[in-house]
Amino acid sequence: MSNSHSDTIPLRPSNSQSDIDEIRSLIDDSVHSGPAVVLPARHPATTPPPSSSPFISSNIPPPPPVSSSSSLQKLQSVPAAPPPPPPVGNSSSIVANGFGPPPNTLTEPVLDTVKRDLWRIVSNLKLVVFPNPFREDPGKALRDWDLWGPFFFIVFLGVALSWSASVKKSQVFAVAFALLAAGAVILTLNVLLLGGHIIFFQSLSLLGYCLFPLDVGALICMLKDNVVAKVIIVCLALAWSSWAAYPFMSSAVNPNRKALALYPVLLMYLSVGFLIIAID
Amino acid sequence: MSPTDEGFDQQSQNNWKGVFSISSYTQYFDVDTDVVVNRLISSFYPAGGDFFNKIGANPDLYGLIWITTTLVFMLAAFGNCATYLIQKRTDRTTSWSFDVGYVNAAACGIYGYSLVVPVAFYFLLRYLGSNASLVRFLCMWGYSLSIFIPTAFLLLIPVEILRWIIILIAGTASSCFVTLNLTSYIGGSNDLRMMMIAAFLLQMALAIFIKAWFFP
Repeated sequence: MSNSHSDTIPLRPSNSQSDIDEIRSLIDDSVHSGPAVVLPARHPATTPPPSSSPFISSNIPPPPPVSSSSSLQKLQSVPAAPPPPPPVGNSSSIVANGFGPPPNTLTEPVLDTVKRDLWRIVSNLKLVVFPNPFREDPGKALRDWDLWGPFFFIVFLGVALSWSASVKKSQVFAVAFALLAAGAVILTLNVLLLGGHIIFFQSLSLLGYCLFPLDVGALICMLKDNVVAKVIIVCLALAWSSWAAYPFMSSAVNPNRKALALYPVLLMYLSVGFLIIAID
Repeated sequence: MSPTDEGFDQQSQNNWKGVFSISSYTQYFDVDTDVVVNRLISSFYPAGGDFFNKIGANPDLYGLIWITTTLVFMLAAFGNCATYLIQKRTDRTTSWSFDVGYVNAAACGIYGYSLVVPVAFYFLLRYLGSNASLVRFLCMWGYSLSIFIPTAFLLLIPVEILRWIIILIAGTASSCFVTLNLTSYIGGSNDLRMMMIAAFLLQMALAIFIKAWFFP
């Protein structure tokens, strides 16, 4: 779910738009609104050429009531007083504010992009790994999928395993990374070949997010070196990961083939769990 | 995997839509859970000889892929455990170390065997004129490896003579499975007898390799 609408005045109803929808609506709005675009941060004399990328800078003074014709046009198109300047540095730059098309995400500050992606990772994590009412419906569960989260989790697991290994560290990382990355692709292909219905990248994303409990387990095992404790922790992490992945995988295929689709998932998590226990 | 191969078999449908389209491969995965379990159990009994009848018009590659993958994981995991246990018996002071090279060796060995041997037999038998189907060969050889999965678990027992007995029994069972099914599919004729013996010996060689490399 896109959370970028959450901290501004929602003049447009906030809906969970994915990035591609935002870009499309941005282009549509800029086509429709034409030259009467409000650039509240600009003095009329210094207005940049009418482009589809107006953006709100952090400290917006209200446009002064000068008497040039272009600004009169702008004032007429302003239905209400401009909103108070949003606080500095929040991710409001792609929000809809009713004054024209939403700003372009290409020109926003890097910190905003990073924060938005991090926020998306957290919200996807909450949807996939923790109990929530949308679990049974994979379409709703991860509408705004991304691959950053899975990437971080896979690399973190590889690094954690490689750190705890005493010999052949690079080979351990290579095996772990290859196992997880290729494993996610192969698991998705397995479901597709069995005649199931999933979206390829959404499935990659989900399988990546389900690695989060194993990441936590690997982190704890890195710190504690007792074998029995490791076995218990890894078993718990494994159970949690499987529980997270189960509804998604099982609902994607024909019920007669549910076990065929789930067994490889179990195998992959089991092998990763074994690697976590065994590597020291 | 040539599409014209399927044209020789009367009953199979040919939905080949190109190498890169997933839907052209779904015909080889058109099995339900109970079918796969059934085939798996029948692969444990070497005396049958009717595996190809059991597959019928619906050979599946699901068994090949996931049995080999499971076997790779089992060999790597249990191989490490068993090596540790045997070393512990002789030298009390050894500590656990996980040799990740076992994963590479297992992957290369098992995947290589299960792909190369059926393909080689397919081409050889085609050259000699008999009617062979590549997908069925891949399927059969894949299921023949399934007996090594519980064997890998049993090989954890750190008694050397017992290990050898176990692996010889498993190897014989698997080789008999392969040979009997191959014979009943091809039809026994004299010049093909060499093929059957070769199949038997190759499967035994795989069993010995598993014991020697992963459970020394």
